[in-house]
Amino acid sequence: MSTGTAVSARVARRHPRPPWVGFYGVTGSWPTAVALGIGIGFWEVVGRVAEFRFFPPFSEVLGRLFEMIGNGEIIPPLTGSLTNLAIGFGISVVFGITIGLLMGAYRRVEAALDIYVYALLTAPSLVFAPIMFSIFGLGPEPIIGVIVIYTIFIIIINTTSAVQTVPRGLIEMGRSYCASDWEIFRRIIIPAALPMIMAGLRLAGARAVEGMINGELFIAAVGLGAVISRAGARFDATTVLAVLVLTLSIAFLVVRIIKSIDTRVTSWLPETQRGLR
Amino acid sequence: MSSAASPQPIAMGNGRPRAGRSLVARILDSKAFLRLLTLAVIAAIWQVYAVMVGGLLIPTFDGTVFAFVELLLDGKFWRAVWVSNQAMLIGFAITVILGIPIGLFMGRYRPAEAFTDVYINILLVTPMAALIPLIIMAIGFGLNARVLLVILFAIPMVIVNSRAGVRQVDPTLIEMAQSFGATERSIWWRILLPGSMPAVMTGIRIGLSRSLTAMVVIELLLIAVGLGGLIINFRGAFQPESLYAVVIFVVFEALLLIMVARWLERRLVPWGREGVLATD
Amino acid sequence: MIEIRGLGKSFPGRRGNPGVKALEGVNLTVRDDEFLTVLGPSGCGKTTLLRCLAGLVSWDEGEILLDRRPVTGPGPERAMVFQSIALMPWASVLRNVTFGLELRGVNGSDCRSRAQELIELVGLSGFESSMPFELSGGMQQRVGLARALAVEPAVLLMDEPFGALDEQTRRLLQEELLQIWETRRTTVVFITHSMDEAVLLGDRVVLMSARPGKIEDVVEVPMPRPRSAHIDTVEGSAEFREITSQLWVRLREWQVDIGRRGRAAAAGSR
Repeated sequence: MSTGTAVSARVARRHPRPPWVGFYGVTGSWPTAVALGIGIGFWEVVGRVAEFRFFPPFSEVLGRLFEMIGNGEIIPPLTGSLTNLAIGFGISVVFGITIGLLMGAYRRVEAALDIYVYALLTAPSLVFAPIMFSIFGLGPEPIIGVIVIYTIFIIIINTTSAVQTVPRGLIEMGRSYCASDWEIFRRIIIPAALPMIMAGLRLAGARAVEGMINGELFIAAVGLGAVISRAGARFDATTVLAVLVLTLSIAFLVVRIIKSIDTRVTSWLPETQRGLR
Repeated sequence: MSSAASPQPIAMGNGRPRAGRSLVARILDSKAFLRLLTLAVIAAIWQVYAVMVGGLLIPTFDGTVFAFVELLLDGKFWRAVWVSNQAMLIGFAITVILGIPIGLFMGRYRPAEAFTDVYINILLVTPMAALIPLIIMAIGFGLNARVLLVILFAIPMVIVNSRAGVRQVDPTLIEMAQSFGATERSIWWRILLPGSMPAVMTGIRIGLSRSLTAMVVIELLLIAVGLGGLIINFRGAFQPESLYAVVIFVVFEALLLIMVARWLERRLVPWGREGVLATD
Repeated sequence: MIEIRGLGKSFPGRRGNPGVKALEGVNLTVRDDEFLTVLGPSGCGKTTLLRCLAGLVSWDEGEILLDRRPVTGPGPERAMVFQSIALMPWASVLRNVTFGLELRGVNGSDCRSRAQELIELVGLSGFESSMPFELSGGMQQRVGLARALAVEPAVLLMDEPFGALDEQTRRLLQEELLQIWETRRTTVVFITHSMDEAVLLGDRVVLMSARPGKIEDVVEVPMPRPRSAHIDTVEGSAEFREITSQLWVRLREWQVDIGRRGRAAAAGSR
């Protein structure tokens, strides 16, 4: 265990993140910027030269994206998707953390639920999209349902694990001062479990965007996924890629936001352990 | 309890079972019973909802169970299973053959990692399903398209875990080998490969899970063959019992594959239990 | 006054391992305001005994009476100092010290002033808003001590509190503990596996042996107090050496005994 931390600490030191703004701020280090630059250049050149229908050059894709933003056609699906994302992720966070806390604290709850949580976690989440459709029909509800399926089980498992790895010495210390069950929960278990819970939320954040798109691709009625689906049916690769670039930006943004909440909330962690979670 | 006023500690659900409780109490408290209880509660809520509220596409619990058994006895079903899994197995094999060396290489040679890191991150976050139309445009609707999607889904995980596996090998071990005059090849063979095995196996397990996901996703979204095709067909034919039954089958298959992968992991790397996301 | 009568506790075995008899027939009386040290090898049940006293675990036989009232769980008159120190890593030194007070409903400013007093007492003035990870092991354990003293316990239970610290820090803390105790007398039950520590600190030393855990003997330490000003001279004194060598002799006897018993059992089972 100490080896892992020592190696990780060394790794952390080898990759200092200078506080540069702008493009570098996003990428964070020069090899990343160079690599991205090369990739985009490659994309542009091959796209122009090869003239594959499925591989339009980067400039065209970017152009299409700005066009869609400019004439506003992307705005309704975008807001629709983001709303679904927020609602679905919100439901997952609230219920996922609650169930996770209960499972972590009470052996009986864990014993009752753990195999089902594990089963639903390992199964391909999209396979439940038809079920969501059968219950909710068309519209945003089944998509929200899919997002919940994509994210809630990761949150539950991470939260359960977070509670179970609270050092027993701390809980005992609380009991030795006659703290009630609830006080131990509030004052010891929840703060101690917070870092790992936040790690679960970060994982879930990326999955949420994936669930949003996949759900919308399947239901194909509203949102960005529907736009991709319709563009795909027309073999309009430019639009597909443009929306994909937009989706990736959303995904990065979501993870960034969660990370910053994470650092704010777990400001008490010593430096060597940050950024490794 | 024969002692005078012995304290009852707050178990918080983690108390040791006390010998001397009645048999009934112990059965009621056992894992098996609690799990069955959950299943019973789910089945009850399901049945009540199906009967009271219902809907064209809501099956009953018992209906689903019967449909499940029927499916297992149907030759057509197993053909669909084979069609689906073909793509998955081929795709998974290619993923492993390509992904592990790439990941190991990235882990060992830092410049490679620094430059490719951003692309791995992008791959990890991209909803691969959105690329399906592009794949179709490039290589059509056949087996190749499905195999390619499986690879796209699974390979980032295999690469990331293999890379992490190499990185977490204790540098002291490498130095030790070098002090005994080991060549790069020996270092790989004797230190890096065995040392990164646990993480590589984790990557394989996760990659297997992602392969299954990919298999289902492309069939549900575009190429309606195999199991995904069955689901689409059952939906169109308003046969929700069978639809739900196929979904349950997919869940079971996922569980089975994971159990196999974990068993393999335990047999091959009994000494290591570290995953990429171990926060030790 | 603490009375322990006929205390017994077993841990059930798991997966084919036989259970362990942690404590058997333990009888002990702890006098008010005495500094009692409990000495024994690992696995002799001394930590279990302390945790029973703290009310953190239940036992199978016997009883524990605190001022003639039976112990049924943790209580406000007892406070514990842990080997693992057990500070909340997300809270400042001040918040850690006020933890017990907050739970007992003491109001905000009283909490803080009491905590302030104790932080000064343990020599950590100026560190009130520091975080645990910024402190050394010795400083962290001082916070643990301040926290326990903050609730003004009648009994202070200390579970090998200096076990995780290096030699020099340990000696400094032993001295400071004695100084603090000599000014604010409470009953102390102090667990240790170090013979020197047990004799240095204690009024009486309880000797325990393992498997099953029981009290072999209770030895008086008649060395004069206060000892805090000069613990090195205390340790060099003839009395000290006499007591410790007596304990060594006993310890060796029991080891031989255990070895003999073990061989007999092995021979018998063949």
